[in-house]
Amino acid sequence: MDIRDRFERALERVQKAPRYTGGEMNTAIKKWEEAPLHFGFCFPDTYEVGMSHLGMKILYGLINQESWSLCERFFMPWTDMIALMKEDDIPLLSMESRRPLNEFDVIGFTLQYEMSYSNILAMMDMGGVPLEGSERGEKDPMVVAGGPCAFNPEPLAPFIDAFMIGDGEDVMTELNRVILQRKQQGWGREKCLLELAKLEGVYVPSLYQVSYDDEGRVTRVTPKGEDIPERVRKRVVTNLNDTYYPEEIPVPYTEVVFDRIMLEIMRGCTRGCRFCQAGMLYRPVRERSMDTLIHLAEKLQESTGYEEISLSSLSSGDYSCLPELIRELMKRMKDKRVSISLPSLRIDSVLKESLEETQQVKKTSLTFAPEAGTQRMRDVINKGVTEEDLLEKVRDAFHGGWNSVKLYFMDGLPTETTDDLDGIADLARKVVSEYFAVPKDQRARGLRVTVSVSIFVPKPFTPFQWAGQDTLETIQKKTEYLKKVLDIKGVTFNWHEPYVSFLEACFARGDRRLGKVLRKAYEKGCILDGWNETFRYDLWMESFRECGLDPAFYANREREREETLPWDHIDSGISKDFLWRENEKARKGETTKDCRKGCNGCGLQKWRGVCGYANAGCV
Amino acid sequence: MRMLAVFEKNERIRHIGHLDIQRSVQRGLRRSGLPVAYSQGFNPHILITFASALSTGACGKREIMDVTMAGEVSEDEFLTRMNRAMPPEMQLKEAKKIDDRHPSLMGSLRAAVYDLKIRDRSQAEILIRAIPSMMAKDRIVTMRKTKTKLAECDIKPLIYALRGEGCDIFATLALTERESCKPQMLTEALKAEAGMTDEVRMLVIREGLLGENESGELIPLERL
Ligand code: SF4
Repeated sequence: MDIRDRFERALERVQKAPRYTGGEMNTAIKKWEEAPLHFGFCFPDTYEVGMSHLGMKILYGLINQESWSLCERFFMPWTDMIALMKEDDIPLLSMESRRPLNEFDVIGFTLQYEMSYSNILAMMDMGGVPLEGSERGEKDPMVVAGGPCAFNPEPLAPFIDAFMIGDGEDVMTELNRVILQRKQQGWGREKCLLELAKLEGVYVPSLYQVSYDDEGRVTRVTPKGEDIPERVRKRVVTNLNDTYYPEEIPVPYTEVVFDRIMLEIMRGCTRGCRFCQAGMLYRPVRERSMDTLIHLAEKLQESTGYEEISLSSLSSGDYSCLPELIRELMKRMKDKRVSISLPSLRIDSVLKESLEETQQVKKTSLTFAPEAGTQRMRDVINKGVTEEDLLEKVRDAFHGGWNSVKLYFMDGLPTETTDDLDGIADLARKVVSEYFAVPKDQRARGLRVTVSVSIFVPKPFTPFQWAGQDTLETIQKKTEYLKKVLDIKGVTFNWHEPYVSFLEACFARGDRRLGKVLRKAYEKGCILDGWNETFRYDLWMESFRECGLDPAFYANREREREETLPWDHIDSGISKDFLWRENEKARKGETTKDCRKGCNGCGLQKWRGVCGYANAGCV
Repeated sequence: MRMLAVFEKNERIRHIGHLDIQRSVQRGLRRSGLPVAYSQGFNPHILITFASALSTGACGKREIMDVTMAGEVSEDEFLTRMNRAMPPEMQLKEAKKIDDRHPSLMGSLRAAVYDLKIRDRSQAEILIRAIPSMMAKDRIVTMRKTKTKLAECDIKPLIYALRGEGCDIFATLALTERESCKPQMLTEALKAEAGMTDEVRMLVIREGLLGENESGELIPLERL
């Protein structure tokens, strides 16, 4: 029986076979022989998660659009499928032509969250690709990765040949061209790596030497050759209207997490929340024009048949002509019975009008993210939202017929005290009172307030990149406390297990030595760490111990200003001085204004023509 | 105006359940830009019915849907536009305009024709050899799974035709709103007859759906 027959047999026995079958609308794009370069796009999580991800759809379309390259998808199988694959000797196969991963010329991983790292190893292993770059030979694929976690690539350095830093649209094609040359001109791996390192925004970790001091802190990261840049600067696409966006995207048969059209209305955010890595990494703000968006919305609606369009960005409420956009989209989509939804609604946006308009189509639950319970704490994190703002929006919503509100907070933020935790409960209580203040016959029945509190994880390239995370003990105490104070009628409290956040903190700010821990943990059986039922904290701790590394060194230790950070050789465009200034302001509870009100001198202003808000002559 | 269309659910997507197939057809109709009719009310949906739900794991060569149109469309145009809008796994084979008073597909359905491809040749031989003796019996008792329990059931009157050849068992089995014989019930009965206990791997292909004409003959449902 050949591989594909064995795969078919496994499908008969596995749960949720549809996540492995492929054949979805808009995925039969080209035949293997039609393009010389074969790209295996790997999403290191399950099908349902991966198929909800916008970045994958963009790059999938982009690579397939070039006549000389072809892209097929790979996802992380669930444990039952993995067992069947092992039993029957089935390698990881692509969704489209069902070819093993190691038959591709390039395999690319998208790095969305640290807890997917073990899946990367698992997928390579199942796909017959040697795990570490140094173990790969001339017949093996080049392994590349991009996405937000690529900004601290060090823990993955042994496994990934080249990282793409920043916006992927332009550099993806450049990188593929180099790898096509490797294939057509028979370049060796070394030559190919050197050529890749010449591309702007591409980091080839094997070409850098890392040194440490006695305590294990990084002291220097030095390039191994003259042509190799000392720092790798991120790529930025400056005009989103000229940047590729797919007009056709795969439409899964089964329901996935986000089963709808996602329209990226802008990239970046001007708010400058101090905990938010995306807000720093995706600077500067770039908007797609209304014309482009309406064109894309219509094309995507025609090619997918989806019933819903969601506007996506870090802060959709800040889009300059949001009410006009929504009104226009609604007008055009009404006859097609398409509803428009706004996922990351900011509570301080001028949206009352639009809210009323969305409601006529669909009344979903409203989401607010005050992030912290007191004004003091919100000032520390520079979340420019006041209690009055929030309550006003909530009041409008309750009057408008909503009955369900979700509130998102974090605990463990720098300088946090018990008062800040009490503040979370106070705010929840006030939201409940707003509901009851609406006359009974004018409000929707069945109030639902959900309070979700996640655990703060300090991230690279944020003002809190030097901060220590609360210890597990402290977090547990805080959670117990929150359970007590959030025992309020009408309020549901969702909390997170601290272990995942602790590990996330280790890898988010980890150095190259963590590669060993990752490999050991994978060999011990750690996979699908983002899922409660498969996460094995004990095995992770065992792996740290056996590698002689202390997780607290990474997660809980406060860094010195002078310390070389493991990602200092990656240039996000944001200066370390700016981040430190922000850190100091945070400690004093001083806020920083929105970039739309004037440049704050984050460093990008020195990069000519990149940030539209930074006028010449500013800081 | 209503449009009756014959479509395929091919082998690759045989594990996709009926609800997902329904949703995919609806999205296909939306992509096609054809003038389909929607239901009234708060959550409007396309007015469409399927002759019969095809079970998860089975593929269908001639599945049938019945779409209510909001405007005039020719059969050819319906077919061309839908085939552009559907993935290769779910192409349409035929489209036929029917009158608004045409009886419902589900009500007219009588039987289905199956091709059961037994993966293992020797198993197929044993099962096929058991056909004559099984069919010679007055009653063929097998178990029917309902939501709550297993019940005994005589499938003899539900088997309209049965023969085997090579690795294939061809069967015409009753399929109505009231009673039906699932392919698995048939193979279980054949296994019992042959005294076989091993698991039988097979691919279930529903070749077509049948209705009854005025003279009491079973003919393809789409020809009624
Ligand atoms: S350059 Fe100035 S305006 Fe632009 S993102 Fe940085 S601080 Fe904001």
